[in-house]
Amino acid sequence: MKNVILVQRRDPRSDDEDNQIKFLELEELARSNDYRVVGEVIQYRFPDRKCQIGQGKVEELIALIREKAAEKVIFYNQLNSTQIYNISEACQCEVIDKFQLILEIFATRATTNRSKLQVELAQLRYELPKARMLVSLLKKEERPGFMGLGGYEDSYEQDIKKRISRINKELGASLRDDEALRTFRHEKGFSLVALAGYTNAGKSTLFRTLVHEDVPVENMLFTTLLPTTRSLTINKRRMLLTDTVGFIEDLPHWMVDAFRSTLEGVFLADVILLVADISEPAPLIRKKLAVCHDIFWEQLENASIITVLNKADRISEEQVQMRLDQIGYLAPNPVVISAKASFGIDTLKETIFQKLPIWEYLRLSLPMSEEGMSVVSWLFDEGLVHNIDYGDTIVMDIEARHEIISRAESLEQELWDSSSSL
Amino acid sequence: MYNIIAVDISGRHLMGEQYFMVCAAVTLSVSASQIRRVGEMNIKSFNRDRAPDVDYVVQMIEDTVDGLNTDATIVVEKGDLYNQPEWLSKIMFSQDLKYPESLSERLGIEIAHHVSLSSRRLLIRKFGIE
Repeated sequence: MKNVILVQRRDPRSDDEDNQIKFLELEELARSNDYRVVGEVIQYRFPDRKCQIGQGKVEELIALIREKAAEKVIFYNQLNSTQIYNISEACQCEVIDKFQLILEIFATRATTNRSKLQVELAQLRYELPKARMLVSLLKKEERPGFMGLGGYEDSYEQDIKKRISRINKELGASLRDDEALRTFRHEKGFSLVALAGYTNAGKSTLFRTLVHEDVPVENMLFTTLLPTTRSLTINKRRMLLTDTVGFIEDLPHWMVDAFRSTLEGVFLADVILLVADISEPAPLIRKKLAVCHDIFWEQLENASIITVLNKADRISEEQVQMRLDQIGYLAPNPVVISAKASFGIDTLKETIFQKLPIWEYLRLSLPMSEEGMSVVSWLFDEGLVHNIDYGDTIVMDIEARHEIISRAESLEQELWDSSSSL
Repeated sequence: MYNIIAVDISGRHLMGEQYFMVCAAVTLSVSASQIRRVGEMNIKSFNRDRAPDVDYVVQMIEDTVDGLNTDATIVVEKGDLYNQPEWLSKIMFSQDLKYPESLSERLGIEIAHHVSLSSRRLLIRKFGIE
């Protein structure tokens, strides 16, 4: 376990509570990556060009590193390559910022080929703007090539660009496979439900409770990196529930782009379960929900949102009511539950059922023939059969999506036409 | 369900030798993710020979909102107030103000944006402003 020191530069007159929340989140992120936080440095000032924090604060940081034997410094603020170089030279230890920390976490958790590619893509996108500067800083004294006229700065940048385009191509192919799979699932009569929300809100615990299956659940950020999908049946309607990666505030666009294929499961769902931790203070829940709304606003298509307020067992009923009043304007269709204590799950299931895309009812009669039986079997797959009567003809009451109903009607017509012509 | 006044300003760029801006304020009843009802609208145009500063933007929004009969929280894009922190913008207004958070508030601003943009285009065409 490495000892780390966390640093945050706060703008003068900025919201202190907000700054504190951000700092705690950084601490949480550091712990998630197995770091031991041994010191904190906070400064109120506008950014310094050389080191982000002031020169005096850098001296203070150096002393703290020596005292606590820290091996790494993590900045909340985004650092450019010159700043990273200057601070690491002064402190004689590794310096990273919040985004690099997130990438480190993602890299350690990535297990499948696709998630590894996504992490590499995000790392390369992060590195690209810094590539030129990094090489020129490290090779200040050297002049490569014949008589110092060559240059490897460009080639390093070109290498990164080439690798990015290769990864994009590979991820594009897997994305197409995903889309095809999603369409297939829709056609098979499944409705798509996705779990979304801020990281560590308890999405995986809820997933486990809903589908009765073990997926890794831990009290740390970004436990889930790749979407997991399982089937779920509520009131005989079949649906696929997907657990996804959590959101985080100020996630830079290059990172969202890199994980687009993971998040697309959320954006193309019929119903989104927006999970929030109700045991947290109201301003924090508000902030986290606002981040989710922000991401939804950019990407969401036509989906119903259900706000699942999880971890209700940790606070009293009065507190739950108070929080609901305070955050209600950001919580569409709120349902209070505790995934761990399995409380409120039935109400949640009922709400999910109500928000599913509307299915239509149809009573149809089919000839008792081989073709008729194959239509019956198809309808059992695609929709919900309420009633079936095998007499001289097959009479059935079904409920299904509009496309299925129209297809069933035309098939019914076709079968009767062909049987009468025989 | 709660009421908001969504505000948007179009035309904050130099056109010929002046800034011809249109501010639209729309009252809406919204839930967390949907707009339930669109109420009143007020549109006001402003002419200025130099770029609008924060004070002028505040004045434009206040003047436009004054024409409405609804009393609700004004919702305006952070960028419209030069990305000032919310607490600073709040104290500059006589009415409650906030930046958009929920999907419905963002939708509200989108409506106000369509109103201000189309009104500005119409006015430019009608008065032949070049």
